[in-house]
Amino acid sequence: MAREYDHLFKLLIIGDSGVGKSSLLLRFADNTFSGSYITTIGVDFKIRTVEIDGERVKLQIWDTAGQERFRTITSTYYRGTHGVIVVYDVTNGESFANVKRWLHEIEQNCEFVNKILVGNKNDAPERKIVITEDAQRFADQMNIQLFETSAKDNINVEEMFMAITRQVLRSKKESKERQAHQTNDTVNLKKGGHNKPMKRKCC
Amino acid sequence: MDCLQILPKIQAKLITGENVIAIYEVVLMEGWVKTSRILSLVENASSYGFFVFNFIRNLDAISEVVINYAFPINNEFKINVDFEENSDISLTITFHKVKLLFEMMSCEKTKNFISELHRISEMSSKKENFLDFAWLSKYMNEATLSRSEEDNFQNHEANGQIEDTQVNTDLFVPRHSIARGTTPIAGRESAVRYQMTLKENDYTYTQSIRIFVGTWNVNGQAPSCSLSDWLNVDPEPPDIYAIGFQELDLSKEAFLFNDSPREEEWLAAVINSLHHKGKYRKIVLIRLVGMMLIIFVKEQHAAYIRGVATDTVGTGIMGKLGNKGGVSVRLDIHNTSLCFVNAHLAAHVEEYERRNQDYRDICSRISFPKFLPPKTIKDHDQIYWFGDLNYRITELDASTVKRLIETNSYDAILIYDQLKQNFKAERVFEKYKEGRITFKPTYKYDTGSDEWDTSEKNRAPAWCDRILWKGDRIQQICYRSHPSLKISDHKPVSALFNSEIRVIDAVKYRKIHEEVMKKLDKLENEFLPQVMVDTTEIIFDKVCFLEAQNKDLIIANTGQVPVQFEFIKKLDDSSYCKDWLHIEPYMGFIMPGEKCDVKLEVYVDKRSAYELNSGKDKLYDILVLHLEGGKDIFITVTGTYIYSCFGMSLDVLSRINIPVREVAKEELIMLEKNNDYRLGDPYPVPKEIWYLVDHLYRNGMKQQHLFEQPGLHSELLQIRDWLDTGVPEQMRIFQ
Repeated sequence: MAREYDHLFKLLIIGDSGVGKSSLLLRFADNTFSGSYITTIGVDFKIRTVEIDGERVKLQIWDTAGQERFRTITSTYYRGTHGVIVVYDVTNGESFANVKRWLHEIEQNCEFVNKILVGNKNDAPERKIVITEDAQRFADQMNIQLFETSAKDNINVEEMFMAITRQVLRSKKESKERQAHQTNDTVNLKKGGHNKPMKRKCC
Repeated sequence: MDCLQILPKIQAKLITGENVIAIYEVVLMEGWVKTSRILSLVENASSYGFFVFNFIRNLDAISEVVINYAFPINNEFKINVDFEENSDISLTITFHKVKLLFEMMSCEKTKNFISELHRISEMSSKKENFLDFAWLSKYMNEATLSRSEEDNFQNHEANGQIEDTQVNTDLFVPRHSIARGTTPIAGRESAVRYQMTLKENDYTYTQSIRIFVGTWNVNGQAPSCSLSDWLNVDPEPPDIYAIGFQELDLSKEAFLFNDSPREEEWLAAVINSLHHKGKYRKIVLIRLVGMMLIIFVKEQHAAYIRGVATDTVGTGIMGKLGNKGGVSVRLDIHNTSLCFVNAHLAAHVEEYERRNQDYRDICSRISFPKFLPPKTIKDHDQIYWFGDLNYRITELDASTVKRLIETNSYDAILIYDQLKQNFKAERVFEKYKEGRITFKPTYKYDTGSDEWDTSEKNRAPAWCDRILWKGDRIQQICYRSHPSLKISDHKPVSALFNSEIRVIDAVKYRKIHEEVMKKLDKLENEFLPQVMVDTTEIIFDKVCFLEAQNKDLIIANTGQVPVQFEFIKKLDDSSYCKDWLHIEPYMGFIMPGEKCDVKLEVYVDKRSAYELNSGKDKLYDILVLHLEGGKDIFITVTGTYIYSCFGMSLDVLSRINIPVREVAKEELIMLEKNNDYRLGDPYPVPKEIWYLVDHLYRNGMKQQHLFEQPGLHSELLQIRDWLDTGVPEQMRIFQ
């Protein structure tokens, strides 16, 4: 058994209050769901280790308070984040309308970060207000991958987290390659040393 | 820990005649946690016991030792040492169904302890039948008893958590001791290794492979004939070839310098003669003077060969030079370790003692230093030892031997074979096995013929060239010589083995590994610091200038680990809370199940009053309660500030002709912002100043120490209310 993990990534879940950010995390990390709603007042995290193409990736996933009054404080938690999961509630049109604001928030706080858009509570068709087509159009426009999930019925949760993890992993490799490419035609004085992952400039 | 300190405590557990011969502090991996243990080797009348002691530490001293496990060191007692570069050594002890995994630091002391354990184990297994372990039974009972007490406690604790109450030690989590902070959660790496070791049988299966072992003393000859009759005689191609040569090159140059042209020639000859149906890859070639060992594996296995290492030992002239000795290769194929030794032991008919000694020297000196501690021959699952071992027939004369050979009565001769005799007397090749010999002696022939040596020495023919093995699950299929190869005075010998190796089932491995990881993730999440606060909204209703108000916040540790909390700064703030707020304590440590009362005090004084009056600040703050290594909780603090003339600019005061408290908040802000804004006709001096001066002039002139001594706090509050409400009747000071 070599190292504990090959990569350590920090993911951040943001979105309006009550869209199910904590539930998504609970489902992914502990595979549990609780029907009772407890609003998150603060930021909390859980870890989970996954394997992608034979590489062990440890995820530290931060769940943030969605309430407006905490917005300035929560923005500090964007620091060092590799991937952001923007969540809305498919049964709540306002939460979808606010996605733009959340994306703006990311832009303000991070220079480069992977993003994914998630429409949660996709388990009651009769109450669904944000239709898939609209969300997809918006996602395409923003060039973000869209997932419709249900933390309650465990639909697409695993897939969504794996997708963002893959994205982050790909970006890391690409930036490493770019770096290697850039330094290729120069003399590398530190050759043979450990190849440090390129520090992503964020915040 | 000072071992000298604990030795008397351990010795006190034993009775006279039972001697502690070694003690060592190690870390026991139990389920998901590490705990300290003391290993001890105890001797009683030449039989040895392996003891594991648990101990209770009181401050720095060991207050009590308890026997945790006691095993006799006999044939049932198995030792496995696992080491990786730059990592701790893990020692697995298996006794019947109990498997214990210890972690030890990679150091000289550890090596000494482990080699002592190996020595005792080897010694004990040789004379197993003569050893009496009865003395140990009372300790074994004691250990069982102490463990069951512990288990009861555990089960009681884990109450309701079915998963953890299973007796299976791999799921056992000593929550109470983690909660007390005395047991650190094991490093993930070691926990995973431990879990995977325990579950090895679930993800490995055995697979049979054919191993061809060949040995030939070529007497310095060049390979002038094909080797097919030796290497390519079986119907099916073997999976592994281990081919040993002796006296490959007898020239002085080979002896003095490293290279020999013979190496290339013989390698080429071998490659040309490997089984025609198999495709092989050369894994390694190692040579010391005339001793050469080449390992080939079938192409399809090459990807599963790891950890290849070689070493050579010279036991020739002066006990050091390479005219005699051994060359060895070790490797892992899938999950099984193999070691091949090609040896050329001391010559001369009578010198069997020297040969025994050479064997022992090779055993002790071959080492593969790429491992820490270095692996030796014995540290392998399967060992194949072959070569010109040079053991002869001494107690029969040459003619008798030759006559018996003609009638194929090999067994009658083998009674006098020095190797068989020494083996039987356990003076050499302990625990090795050799197949039945059904072929003619392989030495000594007239070169180029099948005729026995016709020189004047007239020595009895002998089986100098032998193949032995050690390890489980090895079956010899054939053991033979190849007399048609005549270029040497020796005949080549070969053996074919059906060896079972452990193969990792990649799918099962991944599945089990994933399960283990998931469980570890779950535990890791479970052991994150957790607290509950009684409220996240602290509301102070009316807060007046210079009047402190308190509220309590209760932080309860509801998690499973001790919590270190602290209110931390947010963003660019210079402090973790605003000027008007005071938190006591603002950081602290809470044990699981315990709580901490935090006092929040609001106190507006001259530093913060102006900001509040002018609307630049509000009684509103969000505190960030941070748990070390865990989450943050936001606590919102709000209150209503009752405006006061204190902390208001004189200019504004002069533009108000009603008491401050009667002014609306918005108007106050306007007054601060706008110089022309006024409420009523402005006064030349603020009325509050006038009131104060007037009052002093009328009532306070005779007051001693006026302006020298501070007033009473209660009086100050009275003055404040008087000025702010404009009810001078309330003013009784100095009257």
